[in-house]
Amino acid sequence: MKHAAHILRLVVVLILVGVIFFAVRSIMVPEDFGTQGSYSYGYFRAASEQEQKELVPVFRGSEKCKGCHDAQYNTWAQGKHYSVACETCHGSWHAHNNNTKDAMIKDNSPDACMLCHASVAGRPATFPQIDSIDDHIARKGGDPKEGQRCSACHNPHNPL
Amino acid sequence: MDNERRQFLKQACWTLLGGGLMVSGALSIPGRAHASGGRQHLYVFLVDTNRCIGCGKCVAACRKENNVPQESYRTWIERYAIGNDGTVHVDSPHGGEHGFKPLPNAADIARSFFVPKLCNHCKQPNCVQVCPVGATYVSKEGFVLVDERQCVGCGYCIQACPYGARYMHAVRHTADKCTWCYHRVMKGMQPACVLVCPVGARMFGRIDDQRSPLYAVMKQEKLQVLKPETGNEPMVHYRGLDKEVR
Ligand code: HEC
Ligand code: HEC
Ligand code: HEC
Ligand code: HEC
Repeated sequence: MKHAAHILRLVVVLILVGVIFFAVRSIMVPEDFGTQGSYSYGYFRAASEQEQKELVPVFRGSEKCKGCHDAQYNTWAQGKHYSVACETCHGSWHAHNNNTKDAMIKDNSPDACMLCHASVAGRPATFPQIDSIDDHIARKGGDPKEGQRCSACHNPHNPL
Repeated sequence: MDNERRQFLKQACWTLLGGGLMVSGALSIPGRAHASGGRQHLYVFLVDTNRCIGCGKCVAACRKENNVPQESYRTWIERYAIGNDGTVHVDSPHGGEHGFKPLPNAADIARSFFVPKLCNHCKQPNCVQVCPVGATYVSKEGFVLVDERQCVGCGYCIQACPYGARYMHAVRHTADKCTWCYHRVMKGMQPACVLVCPVGARMFGRIDDQRSPLYAVMKQEKLQVLKPETGNEPMVHYRGLDKEVR
């Protein structure tokens, strides 16, 4: 029985390791972990789903603008830009939340229009595009030297 | 002498048995998990490459909606230009966020088109299988999500994704990617990129929702997915996908 003490120590150490393992595990692993299904896809902290649902949307859609900007909304709804949401040009509603007018983007530079309407390789041929601003304005009877404001002839809310 | 050895072996056996039981006990604890967890994959994202004009509004809106750090992209647009000699040229300056410039050698190009890309929210996602800490998962509704509190930032999932849809979040140092705007969809809204797309190149909805424009397209059109050979079963469907698109 010379080795009994050794074995006892070994057992005590093993038990200790086990106890520490379970203690640490119960602290580190969230209560709701791995309660949602299979190992491969459902092994996660269940509360995470809810946390993600609670994030606040930034873009709100064109209907949101209707009540306060009826004039622009109605013009827009009848025009060729109806497929372009208000927030596509003006930036997200979120910035506008306190109805502060400087928060919204209001860019009437030609570049803002050319982002979509410049003729660029890759654009489907059916989409209305213009090759050169100068040519376009000259052809439509304007003078390109007077400035290249598209809004001189096109209302951005109803371009034709 | 003999007796001592016998005693020793006996006790060693018990010790091993006890230790073994403890380890197997610890391993069996997560065995609560049950089969499917009621997951469904009814949501579908549809990209129409025939319509995309490469304006980049989707990329910009996604950045704002989801607070995506600069130089990282949850969605991006690639331009494919296939030359008369068959060479394929792909560009995506800033993920297409500020639009695209005309190509210099227009005469040499046989065809060119834009391909918007994003997370495919696969039915059998590699990225989820490789996560060692259960920080990425498939939600009940079939969205592949990242739990940023569990993620340790090892980057296995980023490597495992065949579509390059994941990136390391520069601020949080955790994996991040497109959620199909889970937070919006669960409130009955469209994903931000779908909302701002001026030409309807992006559509989103449930396959079983007969009022959704997506329903008709899914029924009538010929659709494709990216890299079907990887077996991930992606849920982003493409209309008008060219054979050169990877
Ligand atoms: C609660 C009412 C309200 C809603 C909703 C609202 N706005 Fe406004 N908006 C205002 C007010 C008030 C101003 C400031 C008008 C002023 O001072 O002339 C303003 C100003 C603006 C301006 C700047 C006008 C200028 O002359 O500089 C833009 C652009 C704008 N809104 C766009 C939008 C868009 C796009 C939406 C929808 C996402 C929206 N607004 C929703 C109340 C609203
Ligand atoms: C194609 C891009 C585009 C879209 C889409 C668009 N706007 Fe505008 N909006 C502009 C531009 C450009 C201006 C600045 C016009 C100017 O300064 O002459 C403007 C100006 C405004 C203003 C300031 C008042 C004015 O008329 O100058 C308001 C308010 C406004 N828009 C609201 C809206 C609302 C609401 C919608 C959606 C129904 C909308 N816009 C859709 C481009 C757009
Ligand atoms: C976000 C992209 C976008 C921006 C920015 C934009 N447009 Fe448009 N525009 C469109 C779309 C989409 C249509 C509809 C095309 C169609 O009917 O096929 C359109 C249609 C038009 C048309 C009618 C063309 C036709 O023959 O049907 C004109 C003119 C026009 N836009 C001018 C402008 C001007 C001027 C601006 C700058 C204030 C502008 N657009 C900014 C997307 C945009
Ligand atoms: C001098 C007036 C004028 C100016 C300035 C002008 N346009 Fe036009 N634009 C027109 C007219 C007129 C048409 C033809 C409308 C029609 O076909 O019924 C047109 C048509 C268009 C079309 C449809 C495609 C086409 O070629 O028929 C687009 C896109 C367009 N313009 C964009 C722009 C943009 C972007 C700017 C600013 C860089 C701009 N326009 C400046 C007068 C103008």
